[in-house]
Amino acid sequence: MTDLHQIVSIDPKLCTGCRRCAEVCPVDAVIGEQNKAQTIDTSRCVMCGQCVLRCSAFLTPFDDQAENIAQIRMERGLPEDDRSILFAAHFRNDCGKVAQMLADKSKISMVQCAPAVRASIAEEFGLAPGTLTPGQLAAALRRLGFDFVYDTIFAADVTIMEESSELLERLESNENMPMFTSCCPGWVNHLETAWPDLLSHLSSCKSPQQMAGALFKTYGAEIAGKSSGHIASVSVMPCTAKKFEAGRPEMQTTGTPDVDAVITVTELAGMLKNKGIFLEQLPEEDFDTPLGLYSGAGTIFGASGGVMEAALRTAIAVTTGNEVSESGVVFNKTDEGVFRASMEVAGRKVQAVIVSGLANAAKLLDEVRAGKADFDFMEVMCCSGGCVAGGGQPKLLPGIDIEDAILRRRQSLHNHDKELPIRASHRNPSVKALYENYLEKPLGHLSHKLLHTSYGNKSGGHE
Amino acid sequence: MPTRLSPFILATAAKCIGCRACELACSAAHMQGGVSVGSLSGPLSPRLYLMRVGDICVPVGCRHCEDAPCAAVCPNAAIYRTENDGVQVDENRCVGCKTCLMACPMGAMEIAQIWKHGKPAMRRVVDPSNPEDLQFEPALLASKCDLCRGREAGPACVQACPEKALDLVDPVKIKKRRNLEAALALSGAGARAGGEI
Repeated sequence: MTDLHQIVSIDPKLCTGCRRCAEVCPVDAVIGEQNKAQTIDTSRCVMCGQCVLRCSAFLTPFDDQAENIAQIRMERGLPEDDRSILFAAHFRNDCGKVAQMLADKSKISMVQCAPAVRASIAEEFGLAPGTLTPGQLAAALRRLGFDFVYDTIFAADVTIMEESSELLERLESNENMPMFTSCCPGWVNHLETAWPDLLSHLSSCKSPQQMAGALFKTYGAEIAGKSSGHIASVSVMPCTAKKFEAGRPEMQTTGTPDVDAVITVTELAGMLKNKGIFLEQLPEEDFDTPLGLYSGAGTIFGASGGVMEAALRTAIAVTTGNEVSESGVVFNKTDEGVFRASMEVAGRKVQAVIVSGLANAAKLLDEVRAGKADFDFMEVMCCSGGCVAGGGQPKLLPGIDIEDAILRRRQSLHNHDKELPIRASHRNPSVKALYENYLEKPLGHLSHKLLHTSYGNKSGGHE
Repeated sequence: MPTRLSPFILATAAKCIGCRACELACSAAHMQGGVSVGSLSGPLSPRLYLMRVGDICVPVGCRHCEDAPCAAVCPNAAIYRTENDGVQVDENRCVGCKTCLMACPMGAMEIAQIWKHGKPAMRRVVDPSNPEDLQFEPALLASKCDLCRGREAGPACVQACPEKALDLVDPVKIKKRRNLEAALALSGAGARAGGEI
């Protein structure tokens, strides 16, 4: 039986033991013999969901198990109206929880969407990979019944404000260097489980999802004229590890989780279809302001290398006064999934590294552990290509060129960046207003309380 | 009457790892949808079936028999052989009597919901509560491998198999190649290339 508390599971009734999931697991957490049902070693699993994307062992109407479909759905905690195909590898479904929250009229619902969602959800409605639908996505969430349709990209912009200030501060003090990004929960989970001695290198910034959640229940609640207890905070993510991240005990700024429920792109698409909402037929609408206004810099968080580029745009502007739309820093591939560049920030040379794909980080982490790291700032994205390739993204059919699809999703985020009027986080007027009216300054007292955390304490509770 | 042997899809058990990607690709190829599983419009219904016996697994499907028992026993003449696409089912003639299912030596025939133009094929039945009226419900009809007839890239299962365990076999070409290999072997020029079918 599927453990409902486990985010990513493999159903022994459906698993055929082909072990193709083990091939894509970046941390060798899929355990089992060929032709036997596989299990997940939860002490290593980072919940990235790549196994879920890869699995093609599904229940057909002609299987012996077919008569148990209703029971399997129940075991997985699926909502009654869920008709999705049952695969062996699957992640926890939270649609029922979101539906309940939407039906609860005593709560004001606020939803956030990760950048990579708008570059892929159209695929679930039959459109080609890389079809960009931010406007329809906002409209669809409004039709689903959310009171405030906000955006994670706004919080990505806030993350840049906090993280670039933190980097400048660490460069100044030369403590806990090199600094690692902390946006990707798969990466954070991996550091906690496999490299706990390096946790001090992690940025103290919460991920954009958690920053958005914390701001919804404080700043957002104020705007809505409600107390934090009356806010239902939902996020739509391309990532299965985000479900775990939202449940972490330290992600509770106001006494309740900053993000109450996380659904993936596929779950949202399923909910929309069950309600007869067809994304491709909707008009384009705007996200709500202020927590839904975003810049191009925040947009590219969804593609590997994007956090780095976004941080550089703001760091260059803050330290040189040179307002750039693109940093102009070119990263060169130096190893599989590893890209490096050096640049001048705050009068000193900074070496930056981008890692795409968790398995490619080990060599660099060994260098850090040995005190031999020759870089100052490292962005790591667990999934190769970044969140556009996350475990909560549309599951591509066999025979579809996955690399090409991910490339198209990446490209559409970069195109979106280019077409936005504001392309640097610090120039986002809603971000400016947030600091002017509420947070005062990056790394200030309130920012610290709402937007920062520490990782690796007792919270790393992998079930 | 078709004058050449029908092509068919052959699976090599030694290569099959049992991932069911063939079944998934097959199901998807027979319904409307885009690139993702979530875009498919309705329940999946594969036309080849992964069989497991101990550690052996292999998908089994229609062999497009020359003297097809399913076609021979169909009381409605809904199953017929074609010149290039093997044995096909005319769903408009099928009544779901299951005689073909009984006759097939491979177990390659199913009676299943058939999707046509993005919608399930429907059948008329008398409304039990009002015998004067008719009701419509999804029809259960003969369903089997059609070699992805009309699909430009050929059979979806062959294309999808990550282990290249499936082949679309053209018996005429096989015979020619085997003859050639035998001739070479007899002349002492070399053994069979082997490996491929």
